[in-house]
Amino acid sequence: MSDVASTLYGAPPAPGEAGSTPVIRAVDLSKRYTIGRDNFVDALRGAAFEVAEGEMVAIVGPSGSGKSTAMHVVGCLDAPDSGEVWLNGRRVDGLRGRALTRVRAHEIGFIFQGFNLIPTMSAVENVAQAAEYAGLSRGAAAFKARELLEVVGLVDRARHRPSELSGGQQQRVAIARSLINSPKIVLGDEPTGDLDTATSDEVVRMMRRINTDTRTTFVLVTHNPEVAAACDRTILMRDGIVVDQGY
Amino acid sequence: MRVIRSVFRRKLRAFLTIFGITIGVLSLVVMGAMTEKLTLLVNGGVLYYGDKVTVSAGSTLLGLATSPLSSNRIADLERVPGVSRASASLGMLLDKEMPTVSFGNIPTINASDGRDRGYETFIVTMAQGRELRQGETGKVTVGSDVVKKLDAVIGGTVKIRDKKFEVVGIAEKTLTAPDQAVVMSMRDAQDLYADTLPAAIRQSVDPHKMATSIVVYVKPGKSPDVIARLINHEFSDLKATGPTDFITQIVASLSTLNAIIIGIAMISLMVGGLSVINTMTMAVSERTREIGIRKAIGASNGAIMRQFIAEAAIIGLTGGVTGLVLGSMFTSAVNAAMEVSGTPLFLVTTRLAVGSVLFATILGVISGLYPAWHAANLNPVEALRHE
Repeated sequence: MSDVASTLYGAPPAPGEAGSTPVIRAVDLSKRYTIGRDNFVDALRGAAFEVAEGEMVAIVGPSGSGKSTAMHVVGCLDAPDSGEVWLNGRRVDGLRGRALTRVRAHEIGFIFQGFNLIPTMSAVENVAQAAEYAGLSRGAAAFKARELLEVVGLVDRARHRPSELSGGQQQRVAIARSLINSPKIVLGDEPTGDLDTATSDEVVRMMRRINTDTRTTFVLVTHNPEVAAACDRTILMRDGIVVDQGY
Repeated sequence: MRVIRSVFRRKLRAFLTIFGITIGVLSLVVMGAMTEKLTLLVNGGVLYYGDKVTVSAGSTLLGLATSPLSSNRIADLERVPGVSRASASLGMLLDKEMPTVSFGNIPTINASDGRDRGYETFIVTMAQGRELRQGETGKVTVGSDVVKKLDAVIGGTVKIRDKKFEVVGIAEKTLTAPDQAVVMSMRDAQDLYADTLPAAIRQSVDPHKMATSIVVYVKPGKSPDVIARLINHEFSDLKATGPTDFITQIVASLSTLNAIIIGIAMISLMVGGLSVINTMTMAVSERTREIGIRKAIGASNGAIMRQFIAEAAIIGLTGGVTGLVLGSMFTSAVNAAMEVSGTPLFLVTTRLAVGSVLFATILGVISGLYPAWHAANLNPVEALRHE
């Protein structure tokens, strides 16, 4: 059993091949943003794709193609105007309030381009915060956060604030945070966008290792062809629709 | 700890906001301590006057604040149906001059002819020494607030209106009028009082029959207010005051004064509350992206609200405690300075201390409600886009 898997799941992941069961199903998603009066952008216009359990998938496309909107809608941060979102076999696009919060806390992990750590909190507190929101006690969350910081090689930096960490280290803290509630899906919005090439490679390798060891599904929105190349499959979007699922 | 760190991430702004609350609580504590002192003073009066009638001269003589009464009137008053006892008393200022500034009671000399023994229910006990014995002259007991003013010690002498008296007792603190009173025999008080009278009056009256008021005790089941009306009806040269008159005159005016004082303090505290709203609104605006992150990693709207309300409460609590500490220091310093004149102005009671801090904390919470609600209802995607 790998360190990552035992930390996240306590037991080895069930055997199986990537691509066997869909954990994400996006069906005919549309989303329009209104910018002032009589001015709007159709960010999604019937986008549809599937991601199977254990896959590591890149979503690519030119700016304004709807990649980030698709990720926000699938990640329950935004609601589609129409269409369906299914996560782990359950439809989630109509969820509101606590049910929606529970999905965000337990079923999805997020990694952002700008790392998005809370500046007044230490690395371990940033990671633990997500577990506390999921209902763990402060002590238990801190214990688990330290274990995950060990997995990402930052346990010696646990008490450091984000401003005291390098970009690569901050993103590793963000990866640890995204994994603390053992979600089946981790969504990354340009996770290597603010990193140099060497650090970017290191972060992608780390995500790949976690993906392999734990069968956590990764969906990464990226402009970086090297990140896309490191994934199992690339979904290409253009003008709000999926033009190629990369099968 | 995390909440405190969040509050103080903008140190100057947090300090200024807390300072605003501090000023509000400081004024509330200072003004409140003044009203607490006055209230206790009046409550003591209500207790003292609650079961008796006080009779004074119906008209003033030659511009005197208190005109003398003859103790011969005791017999007249005891003949009134319902009266069980009448007792002459003499009260006058401890100092020859009226103090220029006084918010509370003024130090006084009190004496009684002793006929009230067994009838008076408002008993002042001695903290040190003993009570004055009936007819004992040249000796006094001293109220707790005038000990320092007179440099009184048991067995020592104090100078009152140029005459020396031996101190035989120092009274327990009552938090009302007796704290500022020197009690002496009726005879000694009459001698001092006679000295204050114009020569024309002094020569025409027997000083040892003078009193400034006669306290009338009523029989069980009789109403002091009814007896007061009866005395006023029967003796046109006397003015009898029952407990209801006292309450209507003093308590009503005190209530108005208290309302004004507390109102002023509340206004300054409300201004502090507005600064909390301003600070929290700015904090929410600055931390919009953080709110987006928190929502993305699973924070419920309630958790976001709790976070910001807790921060506002910390601001209120810190301002409240600081204001209380400063207010207590200020009132103690002023009281210490006033001790020499025997007129302490302030009393910081437990209810005032707890109430002030609690009020500041609740004000913080209320002020933080809207900004917190706004934060909790931010759209996570828009919040994450915020720079």
